[in-house]
Amino acid sequence: MNANIGIFEANYYLPATKKALSQVFEDEEKPTEAFAANVDFEKDIGIEALHVAKNETAADLCINAAKLTMAKSGIDPKEIDLIIDFTSIPEDYVAPTWSAAGQVQKAIGATRAFATAVNTGGCASYQTTLKVACSLMSANDRYNTALLVAGDKTPEFNHNYFPITVVSDGGSAVILKKNMTKRRILGVEVATVGRLHDMWFIPGIHNRKPEDIGGKYPRWLHVCGDVQRFNKELIPINLFMFRKVMLGVLKQVGKKMEDVSFFVYPTFSAWDLKAFREAFRVPPEKFSTENMHHGHLQETDMVVGYVDALNAGRIKDGDLVMLATNGAGFSWGASLVQH
Amino acid sequence: MSCHLPQHKRSVEDLFREEGANFSADVAARLGIKQVPIRNGDASETASNMAVAAGREALQRAKVDPLTVDVVVEYSIMPQEYLVPVWNMSNKVQAEVGASKSFVVGFSGGGSSNFMVALSSAAAMLSENDSMKTALLVTGDTTIPANRILNPDDPVTVMGDGASAVVLQRDAPGGVVIDTELWSDGNNHDICYIPGGSLIHPDDISLYRMQLDKARYDAFPKAETLRRMSDQLLERAGLKFSDVACVLCSNISSQDEAAMQQAFEDKVSPVCASNRESHGHLQGTDFPLNYLSLTESESIKQGDYVLGVSHGMGATAAVSLFRY
Repeated sequence: MNANIGIFEANYYLPATKKALSQVFEDEEKPTEAFAANVDFEKDIGIEALHVAKNETAADLCINAAKLTMAKSGIDPKEIDLIIDFTSIPEDYVAPTWSAAGQVQKAIGATRAFATAVNTGGCASYQTTLKVACSLMSANDRYNTALLVAGDKTPEFNHNYFPITVVSDGGSAVILKKNMTKRRILGVEVATVGRLHDMWFIPGIHNRKPEDIGGKYPRWLHVCGDVQRFNKELIPINLFMFRKVMLGVLKQVGKKMEDVSFFVYPTFSAWDLKAFREAFRVPPEKFSTENMHHGHLQETDMVVGYVDALNAGRIKDGDLVMLATNGAGFSWGASLVQH
Repeated sequence: MSCHLPQHKRSVEDLFREEGANFSADVAARLGIKQVPIRNGDASETASNMAVAAGREALQRAKVDPLTVDVVVEYSIMPQEYLVPVWNMSNKVQAEVGASKSFVVGFSGGGSSNFMVALSSAAAMLSENDSMKTALLVTGDTTIPANRILNPDDPVTVMGDGASAVVLQRDAPGGVVIDTELWSDGNNHDICYIPGGSLIHPDDISLYRMQLDKARYDAFPKAETLRRMSDQLLERAGLKFSDVACVLCSNISSQDEAAMQQAFEDKVSPVCASNRESHGHLQGTDFPLNYLSLTESESIKQGDYVLGVSHGMGATAAVSLFRY
């Protein structure tokens, strides 16, 4: 793969309204199943409030993030060759028939771009999309600039993703360009364990139960998790799969774990961050934590963690940055960015 | 390459009657569709199970060990068993065909052109990543009940159910994917979509159906766009249109095919009309179905160039060039 494709610009947009986590837990349905980890889900999660989009649509979140990023980059929208939407939860209209990619194209005036959407990987859709975008750019001389966008808006009473996390609304965008000398994407590795496909899903209106119609909760649009399978089948392999994709991407580019200067990891929960750090012996100074106060932002976590760490001066010239995450499906992804 | 279609078929007349649409001689002539395959309601004919069956058969036909598949690429268009993108059938396909060393990727929003979006992306991944050699492209589409006639007041097509799969391999001896040209017009992102059951209309089941803005659909210069893109693609490949043996288009309607025949100088293969009559529009499966029919028709010989052209939601237009 062309090793000179890099992150030209990245940014995110979070709606101004915040909702205290205590209020979220009060408003939403209480989980009835036990969580295997030895933690108090509500008290120990390490997130105090969530960003909540009120009247803004999911596409608005996408478009706001794209516009902020385009403005910061100084790039003319007409230079964009590719737009890839990597949103990982349902959007304004039903997928895969529709995606927000075309609406973003229209809103920013990227008239020469080709727009599409990657709809797999859950929170790891960022890595899957990087793999696709970098491959398309590398293989085609005509694709020089790509805009990756995401916008997530959860239904009003579905911010509690027990037993994993609590989720905020927000959007993010990343501009990739060829011929970069810094922030180069050296490699991307993605792995999937497809047998876990039905452990985490949203039923959809075609599967709604009569008793849910007219109630407070449109449960057909809420995530359903099989907590027993989560405990038995996902948790035991999670760190193994992280190791696999991280070692895989390091091997791709001839680097070692010791060469990694900084890790960007999703903000699922304080205990999950701790488990990852301890498993891979990552000292706190090499780890993204600034983004924790935003709440979990699905695939956008990768962008928020990266941008916040850059803004805080925690990533420096010459640093090798590992971005690693997992997501529904289930997939694990790791990418390496050379600063 | 493989297609898995339900055995059961329904006549277009019956479907029009069921959906309360007027079926006239004029409509019949414009559609050019006699019947469509329809799932029988058994679990074996859910979209994902048909996709698994197509995937297994494509791997067997290609004599490819599932464990050597590096990526499963999904190109469906219709809603799946659960809501995409949290759930995607590609994960289930990966598990059930035994492609356990692969990762999965799926694409949304391109309508019938999603196949070529998947093709282009898979080809790029195989050519640009040394560790990747084999891709399994797969889809399964089942239509929303009582929503088989697109735009019943002025019908555009009749949609059937089906699945298909394609095995791509780096350095494969035949059926070479030379290049793909993709184009989208974001102004028409909502020309065709399903509004109900989404974030915007969470409760309204009456809106859970594919809707088309016919005026904007008609105004979109489909055939002209595809011909312009084809010429660009051929020029990039150092070829002329006269070098192309035949063109394969989507099986939308005889009216749509007539426009394609005009734009592509009557080079659209007869297999398209034949498959359209007997199967209707099968979304992303139209191309694999037509390609398989073309190869079985013996009207093509080794080394011939074939163009695949498609227009879909998004609005997305796509052209792929193959060497048989």
